[in-house]
Amino acid sequence: MTDLLDRIHQLRQDNRWIFSTMLFSACLSLLASFVLSADAVTLAADPDAALSCNLNTVLSCGTVGTSWQASLFGFPNAFLGLAAEPVVITIAVASLAGVVFPRGFMLAAQLVYTIGFVFAYWLFFQAMFGIGALCPWCLLVTLSTTLVFTSLTHVNIRDDNLFLPMPVSSALQAGLRMGLDVLVVTIWLAAVVALIFWKYGAALLA
Amino acid sequence: MTMSNKTRAQRLRLEQERLAKEAQEAREKRIRTIVMISVVGVVALALVGVVVWTVLGAKRGQEPVAAAQIAEIGAVQGRTLVVGQQDAPVTLDVYQDYMCPYCGQFERANRADLQQLVDDGSARLVIHPLAFLDAQSAGTNYSSRAANAAVTVAQYQPDKLLAYNAILYDRQPAEGSEGLSNEQLAELARAVGVDDATIQRFGADETTAFVAWLTDAAFRNDGIKGTPTVKINGKIFGGDLYSAGPLKAAVLDAKGS
Repeated sequence: MTDLLDRIHQLRQDNRWIFSTMLFSACLSLLASFVLSADAVTLAADPDAALSCNLNTVLSCGTVGTSWQASLFGFPNAFLGLAAEPVVITIAVASLAGVVFPRGFMLAAQLVYTIGFVFAYWLFFQAMFGIGALCPWCLLVTLSTTLVFTSLTHVNIRDDNLFLPMPVSSALQAGLRMGLDVLVVTIWLAAVVALIFWKYGAALLA
Repeated sequence: MTMSNKTRAQRLRLEQERLAKEAQEAREKRIRTIVMISVVGVVALALVGVVVWTVLGAKRGQEPVAAAQIAEIGAVQGRTLVVGQQDAPVTLDVYQDYMCPYCGQFERANRADLQQLVDDGSARLVIHPLAFLDAQSAGTNYSSRAANAAVTVAQYQPDKLLAYNAILYDRQPAEGSEGLSNEQLAELARAVGVDDATIQRFGADETTAFVAWLTDAAFRNDGIKGTPTVKINGKIFGGDLYSAGPLKAAVLDAKGS
């Protein structure tokens, strides 16, 4: 049992695993951004267009897509995903090929992606409690953004790319060695799922 | 002598550091095991939660909401509101919600056509006022309240039903807003000629239960997935609902065949 856990732990620290996860999640996010962008164009031409993901009253990207929150900066949010995710994909692929990026570069990537992460959850909460509808592709963005953020943060703490004070940095690294990152992410995602079920459970199955 | 002492002290220190490091590693490993087991626990708990919830939900789903009967007077028949001649060749079912913007678009586009089809005896219009957007009215259950008022009008002044239906869509509140107040619902009813005796019956508990029941039944029994849904002689109309003409043409087509 402990042997298996150790092996899983070793695997999770492996660059190939970390950057593969990042690559996979970023691809998912890019795919969702593509669909959402295409939908946004369709909705711009015809606000009543029937989208394939209008499953029921709760799962409805039409409702979400036509809200003001969906174009916070005057253009569909998904365009940001189209611009940002390819950068993550590039970082992941280059790192898989053995490139080591300078600390400053990784710090910048962390900062920008943290803004994206916060934005993704702001949108999630807006959809949950403001708009009153969820859209499947947006949920995929929420999930994949979380995973990319997790793997990027993992790398940057491990490689001390964040220019944090020594005690903070070594405490965080000890946290990684003890696998606390998985626990945090698992609880986080479980809480998100619980929140969705608590708010919309009955309607999701309707 | 001094040399060897130094080496011994050094060796001792190195040995102590090694032991401390090992102890630290063992401690981290112990914690890691606990953390990993906790992760498995959280995942298992979440899965169990979802499964239990789904099973309970499915059980709940099997028990239909108790049929709520109200007086079948006026336009109320079974769990529908019927307008027009009973023996009309075409039955036109409209599943709608007073909060749903598309239902408003549908009604405003087809209002004249529907009135004409009812008037000339081509179709009997069966209105299903559903309350499935109750969550979208900032806690005021607007869909239920508006449907409730429409059902009451259908019971006591059926000849005013279409006019009331129309004005509710003319003054349709934005989805997600608090909707119209009960006073505004009464005011609009008065504006289309509903009398005070009927208006005083708005919001009766039995009507509320009736609306809940017909909403539930529309989803369960009639397989309605969203509003507006329009059926011509029981078959879902797949054409353009949002401009005048196509629906009327389809109804006349069904009448002819």
